Amino acid sequence: MPELGRAALIVCLGLALFAAVAGAFAARSRRQRLVESAENAILASFVAAAVAAVVLLVGLVQNDFSLVYVADHTSRELPLGYTISAFWGGQEGSLLLWLLILTGFSATAVLLGRRSARSLLAWTVPVLGGVILFFAFLLVAVSSPFATQAAPADGAGLNPSLQNPYMLAHPPMLYLGFVGLTIPFAFAMGALLARRSDELWIVVTRRWTLVAWTFLGFGQLLGAHWAYVEVGWGGYFAWDPVENAALMPWLAATAFLHSVMIQEKRGMLRIWNVLLVIGGFALALFGTFLTRSGIISSIHSFTESSIGPWFLGFIGIVVAASIALVLTRLPLLRSKTRLESPVSREATFLYNNLLLVAFCLTILWGVLYPIITEALRGEAVTVGPPYYNFFLKAFGLPLLLLMGIGPLIAWRRASLRGLGRTFAWPAAFALLCGALLLVAGAGSSIPGLVGYTFCAFVLASITFEFARGTRARHALSSGSWAGAFASLIGRNRRRYGGYVVHASIVLLAIGVVGSSAYDTVAEKRLRPGATMAIGDYTLRYRNVEQRRGPNSQEVRALVDVSRDGKRLGTMEPGKNQYFAEQQISNEAAIRSDRLNGEDLFLIADQIDPDETLFLKALVKPLVNVIWIAGFVFLLGAGIALWPDAREQRRLALRYGSSGSLVRV
Amino acid sequence: MARRSSPARLVIALSVAAMLAVFLLYTSIAGGGTPQVAPSELRGRTAEVSLVGQVVAPVRRSGRTARFELKDVKGGSAVRLPVVYTGSIPDLFKAGRDISLTGRLRDGTFVGASGTLVTKCPSKYTAKKDT
Repeated sequence: MPELGRAALIVCLGLALFAAVAGAFAARSRRQRLVESAENAILASFVAAAVAAVVLLVGLVQNDFSLVYVADHTSRELPLGYTISAFWGGQEGSLLLWLLILTGFSATAVLLGRRSARSLLAWTVPVLGGVILFFAFLLVAVSSPFATQAAPADGAGLNPSLQNPYMLAHPPMLYLGFVGLTIPFAFAMGALLARRSDELWIVVTRRWTLVAWTFLGFGQLLGAHWAYVEVGWGGYFAWDPVENAALMPWLAATAFLHSVMIQEKRGMLRIWNVLLVIGGFALALFGTFLTRSGIISSIHSFTESSIGPWFLGFIGIVVAASIALVLTRLPLLRSKTRLESPVSREATFLYNNLLLVAFCLTILWGVLYPIITEALRGEAVTVGPPYYNFFLKAFGLPLLLLMGIGPLIAWRRASLRGLGRTFAWPAAFALLCGALLLVAGAGSSIPGLVGYTFCAFVLASITFEFARGTRARHALSSGSWAGAFASLIGRNRRRYGGYVVHASIVLLAIGVVGSSAYDTVAEKRLRPGATMAIGDYTLRYRNVEQRRGPNSQEVRALVDVSRDGKRLGTMEPGKNQYFAEQQISNEAAIRSDRLNGEDLFLIADQIDPDETLFLKALVKPLVNVIWIAGFVFLLGAGIALWPDAREQRRLALRYGSSGSLVRV
Repeated sequence: MARRSSPARLVIALSVAAMLAVFLLYTSIAGGGTPQVAPSELRGRTAEVSLVGQVVAPVRRSGRTARFELKDVKGGSAVRLPVVYTGSIPDLFKAGRDISLTGRLRDGTFVGASGTLVTKCPSKYTAKKDT
């Protein structure tokens, strides 16, 4: 079996090489037959990668410990679900997952492109082939998942932190997001290589960007929830390099999703958009590099591995080659129109872009800071959460405000009087909310208060937009209000899906602000029978209980919880000792209040043999709103992504079925 | 030059400049981060640093206080720095592990601040192979 896996990867490598080299030659010399065979090579590379993936999966499920990868990441006791998740639990497997998704996406892009953008494909295929080539090469020559050994009796097991249902979904989602950003990049480069000056590549890849961005966003939220329930330090995001690695491409993609609308509608920001696409893809590669190279040590402390220099080299080539390409094609990218007024829809989009990119770059600066200071001063200086939190407030709060302003402002040029009329109600509502919150005692955190006031403003402005649109539609159709509302969304899926996503970002902000600006923490050493208080809660420590789990010994401290004299139940923070892995993991206990979204979070910091407990308790208001935001985010993204026959017809009219621009 | 006179460009240029100003202001006020040093590099420094090293046996623990020595993770330095730390001790903490903690040197002993002790597990993604 391992031979089959290795052979499949070599075949994949060959196909990618063909797609890149023969594809480029074919596109240059306009040989249509050869172009098509390069496209077919991309399709076949997916089949080859799928065969390799199946071989590894079978090895994992069958506990074939003669495969080094299987022996290193699973054990006989490991439940089946986690045995499968071990596929992406280690470096070689996750690279194979990258390759599988990459070839799968590329094949889909080729198949879809044959229908809608034939003329763009010729130069896109060699770019896709080049990226596939790199990953296939890594898997064949540098980091093979099919290395074999004399089979040991049992495997080393999976890192206990990874034994969590979230790990089944979180890494694949992030990979879907990272890899998904390859497709817009390839089409953008394809368009430049083909010397096209139209917007077709943006139209073709808009959904791809949206899909990648959705996966990346939701994947990060899953990761945050995993960190919250499983790592158990009472937080969900710590500005760790690994977390930043996923956040940076997401921010770049968010900026891109907004700025492409300007290019589609007004033909502006063309160079900027190409740069954003390059940046998003390079950051996705950089993210994978960060988590895999060991260049920056963090809490997670990465594997020091052999693939680091290769990745760095590849990122260097990608950035240098794409910038060079952009420079040679500058005349094609000149804007057709100019910004008419600093107070207009396109201007707010521009500010939003600047803020997002600035935030992304400050994060990048923070991540690279230890490397830069090491090089300049010979001493690595790390910047911690205060640095990032400062910029989150400095850039995040204006972004929040813009989210309320943008949708209400007119394209081209907005009059100040019109603005005053449109914003009167949302602004009044926001100020009222701010005042009420101040009375309620939210003034303990000024950024928190400002954040909440902005949140109220955005929500009011979104509601206002929905109400205005529904009323207009109702007046036109004279049907029911519900019908008018449904047809409003149905006819403008992108726009109203976008507003729903905005609402989810507001919910996210509400949850983040609530749980970080208004949280309470208490720590106490407790003997059995002793109590401690936090917020309105009283905690009474009963005793320690030991029990046997499926592959671990579980130690639990039983803590009775009551609020205002009313018993709420028993919480069981503790620790698990995993046998095969010989590791201990912290198991926090969380009690969520469904009414106000507040969590009581208990950590058994230390349990001594004499049952003395060091208990850490946190009250995190509104933290559950963050997880709700995730579902609203999916809903909004789903609305925006849903196929729109009307839009397809319009595009077909504009670009023709072959993808060449039809002049009308 | 019509391009130059566009008010939009001016506003954008100004907002970029404003952002840069905020950035510079922050870095100059906050001084930017904590230096990361190894035990052998600590001599004579009394400012707050993030110390990275390997735990040398024996580790003496009582309650939430741990006393131990740290040596350099890399290089053959013979420096063994005494460390005292009180606070939350990670489950993975033991002799031989690489750790980092923030604190400052007091009378020849490095005093770690509560809650800053972090063990660097062999890897986030790969289970440790016992050698």
